[in-house]
Parts: sequence; structure tokens; C-alpha cells
Amino acid sequence: MVHAISRRELAGLVGLGLAGLARGAGTTSRPPQSRGRVGLAPLPPGAGAARPDPVAAERAVSAALAACTGLASGRAAVEAMFAAEDTVGIKLNCLGGRGLSPHPELVGAFAALLRQRGIPSHRIIAFDRSSRELTRAGFNVRRDGGDWLCYGIDNDYDREPSTSGEIGSCFARLVSTTCTALVSFGIVKDHDLAGVSGGLKNLYGLIHNPNKYHDNNCDPYVADVLNHPYVRGKLRLTVLDGVTAQCHGGPAYRPDAVWPLGLIAASTDPLAADAWAWKVIDAERRRRGLPSLEEAKRPPRFLSTAERYGLGVGTPGAITEVRG
Amino acid sequence: MSPTLTRRELAAAACAGAAVALLPRSADAASPQVGDRIAAEDLPAREASWYRKLPESRVECQLCPRGCQVADAERGGCGVRENRGGTYYTLVHGVACTVHIDPIEKKPFFHVLPGAQALSYATAGCNVECKFCQNWEISQFRPEQAEARYLPPETLAQIARNNGVPLLSATYSEPVVFWEYVRDTAAAGRKVGLRSTVVSNGYIQEKPLKEVLPLLVAMKVDLKAFSERFYKDVVRGELKPVLKALEVIKASGTWFEIVVLLIPGLNDSEEEVRALTRWVKTNLGSEVPLHLTRFHPTYRLTNLPPTPLETMERAWQIAKAEGLAFAYMGNVPGHPGENTTCPGCGKKLIRRIGFEVLENTMAGAKCPQCKRSIPGVWS
Repeated sequence: MVHAISRRELAGLVGLGLAGLARGAGTTSRPPQSRGRVGLAPLPPGAGAARPDPVAAERAVSAALAACTGLASGRAAVEAMFAAEDTVGIKLNCLGGRGLSPHPELVGAFAALLRQRGIPSHRIIAFDRSSRELTRAGFNVRRDGGDWLCYGIDNDYDREPSTSGEIGSCFARLVSTTCTALVSFGIVKDHDLAGVSGGLKNLYGLIHNPNKYHDNNCDPYVADVLNHPYVRGKLRLTVLDGVTAQCHGGPAYRPDAVWPLGLIAASTDPLAADAWAWKVIDAERRRRGLPSLEEAKRPPRFLSTAERYGLGVGTPGAITEVRG
Repeated sequence: MSPTLTRRELAAAACAGAAVALLPRSADAASPQVGDRIAAEDLPAREASWYRKLPESRVECQLCPRGCQVADAERGGCGVRENRGGTYYTLVHGVACTVHIDPIEKKPFFHVLPGAQALSYATAGCNVECKFCQNWEISQFRPEQAEARYLPPETLAQIARNNGVPLLSATYSEPVVFWEYVRDTAAAGRKVGLRSTVVSNGYIQEKPLKEVLPLLVAMKVDLKAFSERFYKDVVRGELKPVLKALEVIKASGTWFEIVVLLIPGLNDSEEEVRALTRWVKTNLGSEVPLHLTRFHPTYRLTNLPPTPLETMERAWQIAKAEGLAFAYMGNVPGHPGENTTCPGCGKKLIRRIGFEVLENTMAGAKCPQCKRSIPGVWS
């Protein structure tokens, strides 16, 4: 029998720190969210253009997941978050090409944990807006075969728009129809309008008309996408590939604005992950003598809106970083 | 009836159009063939005509009043213009997602060649987001999301000529976002004796508007309401620049007509209709045709009913009482408000039902009875 946990029950669980209690829940149940908690694990960039070592990548992903949930291992964390019956959509952010996109090795490591959970390969789908972007970022696009699937939305959107707050959008059918669980697998970068492009701005790739929603530092629109039942009800986890991060000039890749952050971040609180990204981006900007995002008039305002919606902790000073 | 051109017709038109010139393209653009369906990844990119470069590879669009400042690898609010390394490109020049032959009354133009056909074309994209958009399936999508064919300006002109159609009309979505395509199509049409019209929201900066107006025979502007609040909440645009654009069009001498879609409870109050018509009369004159059209629920306003007929008639009476000589009703087939009546003597000049002209008794540009001049493009 599926026991759907109510919001109140969730809040209680979180308050008690019993993050793992939902383990074994059925397909559509939501795991408890560790509000404000961000798990971090080191993964230094390789020399030159070297890709991360797959073993080190697996270790880092696992450690970040364990740290963000307080559980003993990445495997235990995945077991708490996903059911074997889930179809998991992993939204990547590949706009920055090979220079600044999630590393396939890290996505592969996460997919391996999902498979260990008992989720078959064909129900693990890494995706982005277009197959072309995925290919440019170094992913092997495939709709069958392999350890996980990987393909673009490629215009497969709902036929009718649905509304959440200020947005009215057709969602990718992968999100509305196919997947039972979502993971935002983003990067850590500055964004010219949103301020931060981490896990939340990455969700703009789920809707057909993100270009309509860039006014006012993307606020409240990013929060409205997150608050849509398709997303709010399915988003289980945010993972940020911070092996290399970018503190200025985003969303495009700017070689002169990247730095070797060397961290993988994970959180079941999507706001906390972005609040952490804001913090590290601002720290690097300070180090380089650049104005803060606030001073540059592009603070990620959508975080406080999402916080007001009750979706997590979006204030950098209020998050808890746990090193794995 | 509005026939859609088939692939075969397009191919034939393209073959007939021996003068079709391949457009200059950027180095990274694809090379579609005329009439080809354009794959999402092969959108032809052409440098935009109205923008300025900013530091750090950013650009500022100078086409519409939104004035989007766009970072590298991003697009403007319209979704059809993209910054690539500090150069701004339109991705819809020649990328037609809709081509139909329509009666000119459908635009609606009631004072432009009554009964004439117009080759009507559109690309994906729009610079606003009206919650009541009738064509949202193309206007609210990006070009790679809408099926399209490569039809450069000369090809459109050739198709019109081959079909004996005297007019070209940029319409359906929002021509402002494909303004270079509008300009070049109007120029190509003029070379072969065709005239061009535009159906627009009028949300455009002055410079690009002035540059293209001389190529047009007529422009229709949707005045969505007469309040900034409506423009902000329902359109995601601004009223003031649209009023400015109307004044610019008026000053240019290009013929124009105005459409106002009346939506129950949102822009149909007596006060607002009165204020709008007064502004039109004061600033644009009493001779400009004003089409008051009926709303039908669609897109994000499916919760509202169609505009009641009483509301339509009240608005129509207000417009006439305020002194507008040519107030019309739209989307109410068979209503007397569809007809053109001489303001001088009251003679019925053009009788219509829907988009069909039943009778036209005009004597050139005059009323045959009292000889009053009727403004418009009649020949």
C-alpha cells in the first residue's frame, strides 16, 4: 500500500531530523526534505581538459548524497528518495557546452545508484531541451540501450498550457506524463538576468516558453515553475556539478570567468542548493574584485519568492553545509 | 476560405520564381533550400537589423520597446532573436510557419481593396504574451518548436503572383518579431507589383517602424485596451509605446485601421471604451476605422464567456456617439456593424457578412450618392 505523506507530516519529520523514514514508500510518495541542508563532496577538476575519473565521480556523488540526507551512504540516500517503480527524469543544463555542463561521468555515477535501487535502465532518463545540446556537451544521445537513456525534449511538450502563478506554459511531456520523479542536475554559474543558474533556473528547460519569463531577474517565474504541481510534486533532489564553476558572464561559457570549485553539491531542498551556489559565486566574485550579485542588480530574487511559497530555505545565511 | 499552400504548390512557386536569390547567411547557419521544411537545428541565422552591441558580448535589442538586453547564448523575450558571441541574429528570416491566402477582410481591413485576397504569412514568436491570444500555438512558441518552411521574401512574392493575389500580409503571430522578413518581403513584392500590409500589436520602436512604413500600403494595429494595467497584467506589454506607434503611423500617411478586442470584465467598461475612442478621435482623427471585435474564450482566458452582444453594441454606439465615422463590429457575423455606411448621407456603401463582401457600391473613393470622400485604399 502506498502511504502518501502529507505536508504536515513532512514538516514534522524534518523537524525531528528523521530524514530516512520514508524509505520503502511507494512510487508517488515524497521523501522528507532536509530543509536548508546541502551535502558537499570534493571532486577536483582533472588537469587540462581531462574528464573526471569515473571512480572518483561515483565516490563524490555518493558522498554528497549521503551528506545531504544524513544517511550512511549514497545508496541509502537514493533508497530513501526513490522507489524501484519510479521513472526518474534527470534534467541537465547543457547550454554551456563541454566547457560548462554537468559531466557525463557524474550523471553516470548517479544513474548507477538508481539502478542499484532497482530502477531499470529504461526508466532512468537524462534529458535537456534538445538532443543537440546534449551532444554538444559530450553526452551520448540514445532512446534505448545503455545504462540510462539520454535525449532531448525536442519539442515534445503538452498540447495545452497550464498555469502556475505568473507562468502559463506547456510542460515537457517527459515531466507531465512520463516521469514520476525528477532530479535537477545543474551546474554552478552566474546568470546575466537570474543571477544564479543552479538547480532552479535549470527548470526553465521544462517549459516551452522560458524566453517570456526573464523580466525582474526571473522573479517570480522561476519560483512559479518550481511551484507547479508537475515539478513541486516530483522534484526529489538537486545535484550541482561544481567541479568547475563560473562567477561571471553566464549563462554562456566564459573561460576567463570559471574557476576550479572542485565540489559536488546535493540537496533535497532545491532552494538550499541554489542559495549555496549564490554564496560560492559571490565569494569568488569578491575574490576577483567584482561586485556582488546584489550590487550587480541581479540577485536571485526568485529564491525569496520560492521561500515565501514554502518550498525550502533560500537564504544563504540560513543553509547548513554538510561535508561528506 | 483560406487555402493553405501545399508543399507541391510551394515547390512549383519556387521553381517558377527564377529570381529567387539565396540570402547571405552567417558562417554557422544552415543552408536550407527554398520550400524545404526546416529542421529545428537548421534555423538560418541572419544578423538582426535593429540592435546595438554592449560590453562583454551582450546586446540590446532596439526593435521593440521591451529593449531586451541579451547575454551571449541567450534570446530576447520574443524567442526568435539570439545573441551569438555578441552578434544578434534573427532566426526567422524566411522561416514561415504559416502561409495562407485570406480575404483582406479577415485581417480585418475594411477600407483596403474590399474583397481582395492577401497572401498571409507568419513566423513563430511574439514580443508580448496576451492571455487571450487566438494564435498562441505559433505566437507563443520559438521557431524550432513550430513546423516551418524556408520561404525567402522573393518566393513569397512569387507565390502571391502565381496565385493572382495582389496583397502580401504579415499577420497571425506578431510581425514585429520578424520585421526584417516583413521589410524584405514588402520590398520584393513591390518589385513585382504587389502591395503589402501588416497586422500588428504596434509594440515597436519608432525607428524600425519608420523604416518599414514606406513599404506598406496599410497597417492594422491591435489596441488591446486603454489601460496600462491591462497591458501589464493581460498582455505583458505597455500601452504608451503602442499609442506612440499609432501617432507615428498617422503622421507617415500610411493607411491604418485599429482593432479592439472587447473582453468581458477586463477592458469593456463604458468608461474605458469612451476614453479610448476619444483618444483615437483627438490624436488620430475621426476617419480612422475602429473595429470592435468580440472575444471568444481561448488560451489562458478560457474561464471567461464570449463578449455579450449587448456589450458589443454599447461599445459600438459609444464609438459612433464620440464621433468616429467608421466604427465596426467584428466576430458578430450578420450584424449591421459589419457594413460600411457613408457618414455624409447614411448610404450603405459596402455590405458584408463575416469576411465576405456581399455588395460594394462605392464610386471609386467616394460615396456614389453624396460624393463624400471615404478614406482608404480603394484601387
